Amino acid sequence: METLSYFLPQVWFVVLALFLFLYVMLDGFDLGVGILSLTSSDDERRGILMTSLSNIWDANETWLVLMGGGLFGAFPLAYGTILTALYIPILTMVFGFIFRAVAFEFRELSTRKFFWNFAFGAGSFLAALGQGFALGAVLKGIAVDETGHFIGTTWDWLSIPSTLVALTLIQAYVLIGSTYLVWKTTGELQVTHYKTAKLAAWTTLIGAVFITITTPIIYESARSRLFQQPLVYIFAVIPILGVWLIWQLLQSLNRQEERAPFVWTILLFVLTFLGLGLVVFPYIIPTKITIYEAAADPSSLVIMIIFIGFLIPIMLFYNLYQYIVFRGKVTGGQYGE
Amino acid sequence: MEFLSDSVVLSRMQFALTAIFHMLWPVLTTGMGIYLVIVEGVWLKTRNPDYYLHARFWSKFYVLNFGIGVATGIPMEFQFGTNWAPFSEAAGNFFGSVIGFEASWAFMLEAAFLGIMLFGWERVNPAIHYLATILVAVGANLSTLWILTANSWMQTPAGGEMVNGKFIVHDYFQAILNPFMVNSVLHMFFATLETSLFVIGGISAWYVLKDRHQAFFAKSLKIALAAAIAVAPLQIYIGHLSGEQVFHYQPTKLAAMEAQWESSPAGKPADWSLLAIPNEKAQKNDWEITVPNALGYILEFKKNLSEPLRGLKEWQPEDRPHMVGLIYYAFRTMIAIGFFFAGLMLLSTLQWLRGKLSAENIAQQKWLMRGWILAAPLGYIAVESGWIVRCVGRQPWTLYGQIRTVDAASHIPASNVLVSLTGFATVYSILFVAVLYFGSRIIRRGPNLNLPIPGMEVDKPAVETTPGEFVPDERPVEAQE
Repeated sequence: METLSYFLPQVWFVVLALFLFLYVMLDGFDLGVGILSLTSSDDERRGILMTSLSNIWDANETWLVLMGGGLFGAFPLAYGTILTALYIPILTMVFGFIFRAVAFEFRELSTRKFFWNFAFGAGSFLAALGQGFALGAVLKGIAVDETGHFIGTTWDWLSIPSTLVALTLIQAYVLIGSTYLVWKTTGELQVTHYKTAKLAAWTTLIGAVFITITTPIIYESARSRLFQQPLVYIFAVIPILGVWLIWQLLQSLNRQEERAPFVWTILLFVLTFLGLGLVVFPYIIPTKITIYEAAADPSSLVIMIIFIGFLIPIMLFYNLYQYIVFRGKVTGGQYGE
Repeated sequence: MEFLSDSVVLSRMQFALTAIFHMLWPVLTTGMGIYLVIVEGVWLKTRNPDYYLHARFWSKFYVLNFGIGVATGIPMEFQFGTNWAPFSEAAGNFFGSVIGFEASWAFMLEAAFLGIMLFGWERVNPAIHYLATILVAVGANLSTLWILTANSWMQTPAGGEMVNGKFIVHDYFQAILNPFMVNSVLHMFFATLETSLFVIGGISAWYVLKDRHQAFFAKSLKIALAAAIAVAPLQIYIGHLSGEQVFHYQPTKLAAMEAQWESSPAGKPADWSLLAIPNEKAQKNDWEITVPNALGYILEFKKNLSEPLRGLKEWQPEDRPHMVGLIYYAFRTMIAIGFFFAGLMLLSTLQWLRGKLSAENIAQQKWLMRGWILAAPLGYIAVESGWIVRCVGRQPWTLYGQIRTVDAASHIPASNVLVSLTGFATVYSILFVAVLYFGSRIIRRGPNLNLPIPGMEVDKPAVETTPGEFVPDERPVEAQE
């Protein structure tokens, strides 16, 4: 039983990390494309941008719903505490989702597309902003009492470091959105997104460098963790590898490659995610509550592994199948009938 | 305006608002999914292009509803954490897992195959497409299964016990198969199907009355009617079983549903109040019409009650539901609509058997068609009423008999909830108007009967995706067939 109460929360930590990573990667380019649509020069382009997402946005977003449901079931305490603490960022994200989801249907049916174009772009931006602040606030630390219940105030999530994280996350989404568009489009649109990708790569890099340098300086808890043996070597390698990946990304953009930029960006996301996971583990509310303290009853964790675990490969398979069905470049701006 | 500074009341209002609004969309996508499986199946079997065009036309409503269903479902999930954190923590062991099951079993399946169902006509072969349509319908209905499982468990928490303020599950299958579960799932399954069938029938009837594509829509109306023949009576039966269960497991809710203030002992008949004005302050009904001795027949099909029916007065005011009038009338509204549906189905079936619903005759059935148009929105009202009875009637408990609603709410400043509640109210109102507007536009445009049929020679431009304004179909009736 003792080993189970260590092992099961760890399994769920990894499963939830996988769901979250898939979400951040997939809805990341999804939201990035949405944010980029705000800068599109004309309606035809916006149409193509939305077409490139029409059949996948919903499945991409579902990974978040899945992560939320998993967190609720596996770490109920963390679910309640984190969401209560992040009331405003979460609601911001939720409203963003509402705007962009309905924009897909309404834009197609509407004769005056301006409003729904804006709803799509602004909704994507709001969702990314909410997520960025949520991430920033979780990394900064949530005020809880010794039982893990939130004792902070409404605006705790808002700070200079969390703003920096939010801006960087938005840049990262724009980057992966741009490289996705480079892959899925042709002609002038592709040329434009080579440029936005390059710009976003630089702004993301700057943000990441700032965060990497300031985090150990500002937070005592992060400092002690980062310079712990033997983790310090891993944490030393990650930024170096990150810079190398960005360099590869910029090179492939310069060579006008079509798929490689997207792949390099995904690898960057993987690396960042691994880094974050290592900083956070074994905490679920960083530096306050560990996964062991917040975990549901072991019997719940087991039943969830039985009921959800076998579906993970199946879900991955049919999501992949969907991408295969709709492979190839996006043509035309019609995405519905 | 005291409630404006009470975060519990505001959180309840927000949950009620978002739930009532959210429910409108999955009702149609869940039931219509099955309808689409039927028409696509008939198309594949008969290769009659009409059924293909039906599938394409009705899926426009599907997609219009789907996006909003997704967008408004996400706030529901997150609210458990933001506004009901103590409940999430206390009940997470079971309730949270079930929410996770819904996401993995249901949402992902529906979301991943929806793209293929809507946009994949030209990209995958018909068998795969049909599989996608089936999986979308299965996904939507699995969602009903898990959500109703979770909600039933909130009504009749089984399979474990509260230990130090947390629900510990001893037997998962007992918790999943809690006393309310099977009937609740079936009741909701039939509710989504029935609502969708009468929406489809109602829109079809509108076209018939407007003299547009009569043959085409006589067909969809008859498909809906054929399904309703089975569904409408079954729904009444399942509803009755659900009522019986409330009698046994949630006496406070039953007393509120029937506005019974005084108790009736076992072995005696009891009067049933048909209509009343319940007065919570005076703990009696100010006015009522009662049917003598009817309650025993309603609950148990016999005159004398076999167990006592406890009136509301048996509980302290803080232990019984408030808003008795709302529960009482919501319950009656739901039942009236259920019987109206059954009656309309019977009448229409009769006319069908007399050959009055054929393409040539159907337009003469003016009153019947008006009845169907009237029925189109009623399913929604019945579903919402049912949920009001179910969840307002469960009060003051969030987890019946275990966790009180006041203890289930997050400790957050009321101002936060007020802002988000206002935001939801505003945005949802705009969306509601927009859906009515765009939905009516889809109806006004009508079906695009010139779509190329997959697997058939085409003499038209390959993809005509934006049908223009309505052009009357001037081909002879035979050609339209």
